[in-house]
Amino acid sequence: MAPARRELSIRGTLIDLLSDGAGTPLLFLHGAGGGGRWLEFQERLAKIHTVLMPSHPGHGGSPAAEWIEHISDIAFHYLDLLDDQRLPRVHLVGASFGGWIAAEIATMASHRLVSLTLIDPVGIKVDGWIYPFLFGMDIPEVVATVFHNPMAALALAPPDQSAETLALQYRQGTALARVAWNPYLYDPLLRRRLPRIAAPTLLAWGAHDRLAPLRPCGETWAKAIPGAQLSVFDGSGHVPHIEEPEAVAQAVLDFARAAEGRR
Amino acid sequence: MKFYYFHLMPYVMEHDEPSSWVTLSNRFYDPKQGQTLYNQYLDQLEYAESLGWDGLCVNEHHQNCYGTMPSPNVMAAMLVRRTSRAKIAILGNGLPLRENPLRIAEEIAMLDVASGGRVISGFVRGISAEYFSTGINPTHSRERFYEAAELILRAWTEPGPFPFDGKYYRYHYVNPWPRPLQRPHPPVWCPSQGSSETVEWASKRRFPYLMVFTPIKRIAQIYGEYREACQRHGYTASRYQLTVNVPIVVAENDAKAETLARKHTMWVFNTGLRMHPPFWRPPGYMTESSLRRILQNPPPLPSELTFEQADREGYIVYGSPTTVRDKLRVFADELKAGIVCSGMNGGSHEASLEMMQLFAEEVMPHFREDAEVDETAGVGR
Repeated sequence: MAPARRELSIRGTLIDLLSDGAGTPLLFLHGAGGGGRWLEFQERLAKIHTVLMPSHPGHGGSPAAEWIEHISDIAFHYLDLLDDQRLPRVHLVGASFGGWIAAEIATMASHRLVSLTLIDPVGIKVDGWIYPFLFGMDIPEVVATVFHNPMAALALAPPDQSAETLALQYRQGTALARVAWNPYLYDPLLRRRLPRIAAPTLLAWGAHDRLAPLRPCGETWAKAIPGAQLSVFDGSGHVPHIEEPEAVAQAVLDFARAAEGRR
Repeated sequence: MKFYYFHLMPYVMEHDEPSSWVTLSNRFYDPKQGQTLYNQYLDQLEYAESLGWDGLCVNEHHQNCYGTMPSPNVMAAMLVRRTSRAKIAILGNGLPLRENPLRIAEEIAMLDVASGGRVISGFVRGISAEYFSTGINPTHSRERFYEAAELILRAWTEPGPFPFDGKYYRYHYVNPWPRPLQRPHPPVWCPSQGSSETVEWASKRRFPYLMVFTPIKRIAQIYGEYREACQRHGYTASRYQLTVNVPIVVAENDAKAETLARKHTMWVFNTGLRMHPPFWRPPGYMTESSLRRILQNPPPLPSELTFEQADREGYIVYGSPTTVRDKLRVFADELKAGIVCSGMNGGSHEASLEMMQLFAEEVMPHFREDAEVDETAGVGR
């Protein structure tokens, strides 16, 4: 089943939004290169929830937004989306770069989150770790850094090498670099704000993540967010929702159901 | 036509690393060898003045073997005290690469005062790889460039102190001592690869446009766009606003020049500009429309440029004095470039000096109808 595609204007900023399913709302924030890619993971979540997947400005089908200069701009952009869609509370799931945005949102407004799932998030400075610089890598190096099983990278492979595709990739890289080039992949203010997160939080981590390794990154997040549960996926690198979609989706669904029961 | 001697100050070496930029380990750099090279290169620049060159050019690049001048102002300072007549063109300082661009206003003013007003100040963004070696966000490059340029120009021309509250640069007191000697300020040049945004920006301000290592057809096209833009801004471009940087090899005959060009000039492209592909295209360094223009007609990577193509398309000028004269006629008479900047590499220091002498004696005098003209009068400011 193909998800529904809608174009929204949120305070004048256009969002290309994919959505599918029924049930309690779940906002999924994709990682770099994941814009507009509705994969098995999202399909599985949509069997239980109304899944909303916006493309970040400049990613997928969402045009670049010049006003976005900081990661918190994107976080506020999605709080505006929730207001616009009259969604007082949602399950929030973010992967990698999307996990960073989700964590920013959670530090601002965790009362609006029924549950929070961060899948191999970046976004904080971790003692003893410097994220490998993906911007300086060619495609094979990026794949080797991000994926445990390189074949899984095919899910994000560009459809062709047309000018249109190359321009999109450049636009996505530019949108990412605007907020993540330096400091690279983190907001110096985020880590000290993580204890503010009051929503039940699941940290889903690929055991073989080479971009943000379980140790020290996952362990640092687990310590910083009160009561966070850390689940490790043995067959995955940095993107377990793509590498092990069934297992990760099930973990998210179980965690979300438990969080709903707690209300 | 005016002749400027352009030195990259390369650390010439052969290596099998994937990139001559950013990641080429500095363990390959031997400071003792560097000492010899720096001094030979400065000797060559000083010699150029004594042979009649009108200007001496230095420029800024970081973390590579292609050009070992991370601070061109340092080299310019050495030249100021060892020369007395030639212009000293710093082509340029990478404005967005500085956290405090007021330092550029100060350093250029120092050089201008000490040299008695011989300085030309190039404003550049720095090439793509520079954003990897400095950490500056390439998506800010263009905005930082325009903002830093405005700051520097105001610092040179407005009596201080005044406050400056930009997006990237903020000061409560802009009041540099010294002020530059040239009025209203040293000429500003824009070395560039021909982006339409830069053509527009430079032409509006009468800043000379320098095409670096570009095929002749493209130079003609960009010069055309620049002249047209000048007309749109209500004036006709002086020929000294149209400048070019092209490597020249001159020898007693064509065959010998070709041998030298194949070996030494092509090193600049094939090895000096060998770059790990991601370093060519940092995100946001160019606009999406510039990217689309490039994708329509992608230029060859310098590392893949063959001698034959470089020769055919006019990336380089080589030959006997007669041949080089004929080739430079194309620049002087067809492109109507007012200034040719070029470096010369004979393969050794002594051979380079000999080549310079041959050029100065056998080629340069044939282009001296404008010997009495000051190429900086009324341009670049």
